[in-house]
Amino acid sequence: MIEAYFIHLAILVGIYLILALSLQLALGYTGLINLGHIAFFAIGAYTSALLTLNGVPFILAILLAGIVSAIFGFLLSIPTNKLKGDYLALATLAFTFVVYAVTLNWTSLTRGPLGLPGIPKPSILGLSFSSNLSFLILTIIIALAVYFIIKRIVYSPFGKVLEATRDNELATKVLGKNTFKIKFIALGTSAFFAGIAGSLYAHYITYIDPSSFTIMQLIPILCIVIIGGLASLKGTIIATIILILLPEPLRFIGFPSSIVGPMRQIIYALILLLILIYRPKGLFGMVELE
Amino acid sequence: MSSIAFQLLINGLIAGAIYALVASGFSLIYSTNKFIHFAHGAVIAFSAYVLYFLFSVLGINFGFSVVLAIAFASLLGYGIDIAVYRQLRKKKTSSVILLIASVGLLILLESLILILFGADVKTIGFIKVSKGIEFLGAIITPLQIFIIITSILLIVGLFLFMKKTKLGKAMRAVSDNKDVAEIVGISSEKIYSWSFIIGSAIAGIAAILIGLEQNLEPTMGTNLIIKGFAAAIIGGIGSVHGAVLGAFLLGIVENFGIWYLPSGYKDAIAFVLLFIFLLFRPQGILGIKRRAEK
Repeated sequence: MIEAYFIHLAILVGIYLILALSLQLALGYTGLINLGHIAFFAIGAYTSALLTLNGVPFILAILLAGIVSAIFGFLLSIPTNKLKGDYLALATLAFTFVVYAVTLNWTSLTRGPLGLPGIPKPSILGLSFSSNLSFLILTIIIALAVYFIIKRIVYSPFGKVLEATRDNELATKVLGKNTFKIKFIALGTSAFFAGIAGSLYAHYITYIDPSSFTIMQLIPILCIVIIGGLASLKGTIIATIILILLPEPLRFIGFPSSIVGPMRQIIYALILLLILIYRPKGLFGMVELE
Repeated sequence: MSSIAFQLLINGLIAGAIYALVASGFSLIYSTNKFIHFAHGAVIAFSAYVLYFLFSVLGINFGFSVVLAIAFASLLGYGIDIAVYRQLRKKKTSSVILLIASVGLLILLESLILILFGADVKTIGFIKVSKGIEFLGAIITPLQIFIIITSILLIVGLFLFMKKTKLGKAMRAVSDNKDVAEIVGISSEKIYSWSFIIGSAIAGIAAILIGLEQNLEPTMGTNLIIKGFAAAIIGGIGSVHGAVLGAFLLGIVENFGIWYLPSGYKDAIAFVLLFIFLLFRPQGILGIKRRAEK
C-alpha cells in the first residue's frame, strides 16, 4: 500500500520534471516569459489520448503529442516573437485560456467538460506498462532522456546563443544571429517536451478533462522553475522533488480532501511569493528574471 | 434593428458595464504602478464573499454590509501592496516578477475563499428575482439598469477625481514620470498605496453589483480579471477612460459573437480579441505607444 503511494509520487515527480525542464528551456535559458506552458501540456495530453483511443499505438501517439505541441509552439512563437516582458506573459497566458476554452467547447472532439475517460495504459511492441511500477520505469527512462537532451542543448554552442538572446537580444543580433529563428526553435522544442509530459500524464491518470489544464496547474510548474533557479537543471530536479512532496503530509494530518487541494495551492503560492521577495534567483539560479 | 440584435446590444452593455467596473480599478492601479495586478480579480471575489457573509450569513443590515465590504476591499488592496508589492519594489524587481507575484496572489486568495466558504455556488439574494422591463423589444431588469447607471456615474466620478483633485493630479504625475514627480515632492510610494486603496474600493463596488447580479463562485475572480484586463489592454492600458471604452467594446463584441458561435466560446472571443490587440496594437485603442517592443 505504502509502496504504491510512493510509486505514484515518483511518477508525478517524473512527469512534472519533464514539464519543468521544458519550461526551463524557454523561460530560464531563452528568457521567454512563457505562461502558456500548461497549454502545450494540454495539447499533448489530448493529442495522445485521442489518438490511442482511436487505436493508434502508444509509441506513435506520444511522439505525435510532442510534434503537435511543437507545431503549436512554433505557431505561438511567430506572432509573439517581438513581444517582451509582461506583454509576452499576457499573450502566452491568453493562449492558455484559448486552449482551455477550445477543449471545453469543442465537444465533438474532446467531449468538453465530460472529459476523456478510459485512456489506455501504454504498451510498446507488446510490452505493457499497465502496472504502476512499470509505468514508473517508463517515466524515468523518458525523464532521463529529456534531461540529457535538454542538457545537451543548453551546453551546446546553440545553448550559448539561447542564453545570449536572453541576456541581450540586440547584441546577439549584432553578432549575426537570427534571434527570431532562435526563439522560434526554443519555444517549439520546449513545447515538444511539454507535449510528451502531457501524453504521459494522460496515459497515467487515464482520464483527462479541461479542468486538469488551467492556470491553477501553472503555479506548481512556475514555482519549480523559479525556486530551482533559472537556467539551472540541477535546481529544477531538486525543486521538483521538494515541491511535489511538500504538500503530501497534508493528507495525513487528516484534513478533508476538499481542503487539501486548496491548501496545496496556498502552499505553492506562498512559496512562490516568498522566493520572489527573498531569493529571486532561486536555490541554484544563475540569472534573475527580467 | 431587429429585436434580437437590440437584446444583444443591451446584454453587451450590461456585460460592458461590469467589465468597466473591473477594468477601471485595475487600470488605475496599472497607470501608477506599471505592472499587471492580476490579484485585483481576487479582491473583487473576496469582497463579494465578505458581503455574502455579512449580509446573508450574519444578517447585518444591507447598507452597512455594503460599506463594510467596500472598506474590506480597500484594506485588502492596501494590505497586498504593503505586504508583497512594496517588498518587491524595494528590490527594484522588474514588472514581470510583479506580474508573476500577482498571479501567485490570485491563486492564494482564491484558494483561501475555497477553504473559508467552500466550492458551492452562493447567492446573496438581497434583490428578489424581478420581471424584466420590456424596452424596445429587449428585456432588462431594474438591477441591470442600476448597474449600468452606477458604472457610468463611477467612471465619471473617477474621471473628475483624476482631473480635478490634488491626489488625482499627483497620480497622473507619477503615472507620467515617476522621477520628475518625486523631484517636485510627490512621494511615489504614497501614490502607489493610494492607487491601491482607491482602485480596490472600486473593486469593492464592482463586487457588490456583480454579487447581486450573478452567483458567487470561488473562481469568479479569475474570470473577471481576465475580462477586465482584456478590456484594459484593448482600450489602452494605463488610461482609465480607455479601459472603459475597451470594456464596453468587449461586452458588445462578445455578445454579438455568440450570434455566430456556440455560447461556450464567449470567453474565447475575449482572448482572441486580446491576442489580436497584443500583436497589432499593444498600446490599445487610446494608448500611447510605449514599450511593448522595447
